[in-house]
Amino acid sequence: MTTLSAILVGLAMGAVFGFALEKSRVFEPGVIVGQMQLRSFIMLKVFLTAVATGLVVLAALHGFGFAKLFPKATIFGADIVGGLVLGAGITLAGACPGTVLAQIGAGYRDAWFTLIGGLAGALTFSYLEPALNPILLSGGPGRLTLNGVFGVPFWPLALGFAALLVAGLVALERWRPWRSEVGENYDGLLPPAQPAALAGAGRRQPA
Amino acid sequence: MYAPAAKAWSPYAAGVVIGLLQIPAFLLIDTALGASSSYVTVSGHLAAIADPGIKAIKYVARHLEGAKNWWQVAVVVGIALGALLSSRLSGTARSAPSPVWQRAIGRHSPPTRFAMAFAGGFLMLLGARIADGCTSGHGISGSAQLAIGSFIAVAAMFGGAMLAAQFLRRV
Repeated sequence: MTTLSAILVGLAMGAVFGFALEKSRVFEPGVIVGQMQLRSFIMLKVFLTAVATGLVVLAALHGFGFAKLFPKATIFGADIVGGLVLGAGITLAGACPGTVLAQIGAGYRDAWFTLIGGLAGALTFSYLEPALNPILLSGGPGRLTLNGVFGVPFWPLALGFAALLVAGLVALERWRPWRSEVGENYDGLLPPAQPAALAGAGRRQPA
Repeated sequence: MYAPAAKAWSPYAAGVVIGLLQIPAFLLIDTALGASSSYVTVSGHLAAIADPGIKAIKYVARHLEGAKNWWQVAVVVGIALGALLSSRLSGTARSAPSPVWQRAIGRHSPPTRFAMAFAGGFLMLLGARIADGCTSGHGISGSAQLAIGSFIAVAAMFGGAMLAAQFLRRV
């Protein structure tokens, strides 16, 4: 595929991605910070549904031989340190590297600062990469996968894991219906938290 | 209910749409959905204007050109366009920072919020590049490929994010 057609495909895919991020409200800082304080679970719902769907899609594509998989290499130190730093950034930004662009599209002015900070962070990493590579970014067991560890084909394990996620999501929805978490202004902002003893009684009812 | 002008869709419908994007990613581009390496491509090109020597860093060089790198830049630009369209269709366009920040930091202060957003973005991409993936590349795509490293990275992401959220006020 030429670079130009890849760009056109990317723009179309991104537009669908951004549309879905905006509609689900998961791009809202209130939803993301709310998730990290366990006030709201919309982020987890979107995330786990996307993973479950991806598992089914890849079980089919890979199972029927239409696509090969690209699991990233496991590098324990980098995965843990990088994940922790990324996580702290997600809470301070109230965004992820992808959803910050949805915030910009929706009009949030502060998201431009997140984007510029992100570019600065990526650039800082680029300059540090040659020094970090030997101490943090290399070694490890390679492209480790769950199916590889168990010595089973990808597709049945992927479908089984997807089924497990769906069961979890059904339970999550029963416990916290998504409509009660969207917020009056669709920004994930819920009525201020009640004192612990009243937390259950004060939960907002579905709109 | 799933009209283009609806103010909110169920998170499950949106999650299915996002998951289905793996089909064109794997079949047309031969890669998985991701977002954070596009920041290396864009910042690398911008930095090269002032410092052409940056192209000598192998890590940067392999992110600068090629269909896959520009595809991912196009994806993140497309995300902004899709969210723009969705918010205009439903009347949920935003401007000032979310009111959640007033709760989280205890006062209304746009300059504080802008500094916080910059710091958050910086840590986000520094961490994502150390881990070689973000909520998309490790979270959505890596988990869907049953990659052990991605499960570890996702657990660390949520751990780091929840820990940081303890330093904010209850929203």
